Amino acid sequence: MSWAFDLILLALLVASAVVALRVRQLVATVAVLAVYSLLSALLFANMGAVDVAYVEAVLGSALSGVLMLVAVLITDNVRTSRSSRAQWFAIPVVTAVVVLLMIGTSGLPDRGDPNAPAMEGVAADYVERSLADTDTPNPVTSILADYRGTDTMGETAVVFTAALAVGLILRRGLRQATTP
Amino acid sequence: MIGTNPSSNVRTVSVLVVPFVLMFGIYVAAHGHYGPGGGFAGGVIAAVAVVVVRMIVPRTLSERFFPPSLALWLMIIGVGLYVGIALASLFLGGNLLDYDELPLPGDPAQQRYYGILLVEFGVLLGVCGAMVYIFDLLADVLSSSTGDVPQQPLSTSGDSSPASDAEASR
Repeated sequence: MSWAFDLILLALLVASAVVALRVRQLVATVAVLAVYSLLSALLFANMGAVDVAYVEAVLGSALSGVLMLVAVLITDNVRTSRSSRAQWFAIPVVTAVVVLLMIGTSGLPDRGDPNAPAMEGVAADYVERSLADTDTPNPVTSILADYRGTDTMGETAVVFTAALAVGLILRRGLRQATTP
Repeated sequence: MIGTNPSSNVRTVSVLVVPFVLMFGIYVAAHGHYGPGGGFAGGVIAAVAVVVVRMIVPRTLSERFFPPSLALWLMIIGVGLYVGIALASLFLGGNLLDYDELPLPGDPAQQRYYGILLVEFGVLLGVCGAMVYIFDLLADVLSSSTGDVPQQPLSTSGDSSPASDAEASR
């Protein structure tokens, strides 16, 4: 039953991606991309990765949609058409990449396989010891904030730096706009 | 779009919902020990609450609710809290982010529990501040590109009727 749901979601995902590429109004593209994020969040939730689905739903379909909407309002709403020669070049490249990816993923272990290489290291240990070590039943949180807390510190610093970089770029544009 | 009045229905419902969205953001961050979520998702949800207020309420009012300078301060406090806890546990004799060296109550497992909570709270503040900061910057660029002074409320709306302008300025 689960694979049928996955298949429907995948079809909708591809359809929304195609629609997002074909629509000429950029505001509509933003809306369709929000739908795309919501569908991929459902896909993640169906795979059992609820934490990832949460962030994808909140960030991908809510906040980044709003940010892109404001960015679209700053520029023109209608996209300009590009040359078709680049498209003819892109089709074989994309097809080759998709074929290579499909060949590559056919060799991967099944999802949830306990004998997968990723499960042979410390992963099982974390899941077993999370409650005793940190009093936390959700191993995702204890891995993110304790066992691998340094990674999360780096991620927070990345968000901080990214916001500062956006500030440095946009503030300069603002100053040029106000003092011509 | 920024600070304009859609309709009284949208305004009323949004303002009613915003405190609950903020509360839900903090809940998601604090409940990460037991369920899905954590500091990042909670911070984004809290930022969404602020962004909704920015979008529906005049600029002067929404800046009273959440001053623009507060976003930068939240970023600094959030990252500083995380890095501060990491360095504090280092200087108290443990490894980096070794929570059981910190002066927290309970046995080592509970100390780690509270350490995770503190760190998630830092992520919540940092992410919320960063998202609101980016939105404010884009909104400033939008209002300056449409030729309006950013400080004046309702100046970005080219299509709102005079009646709704008067209603909003009250």
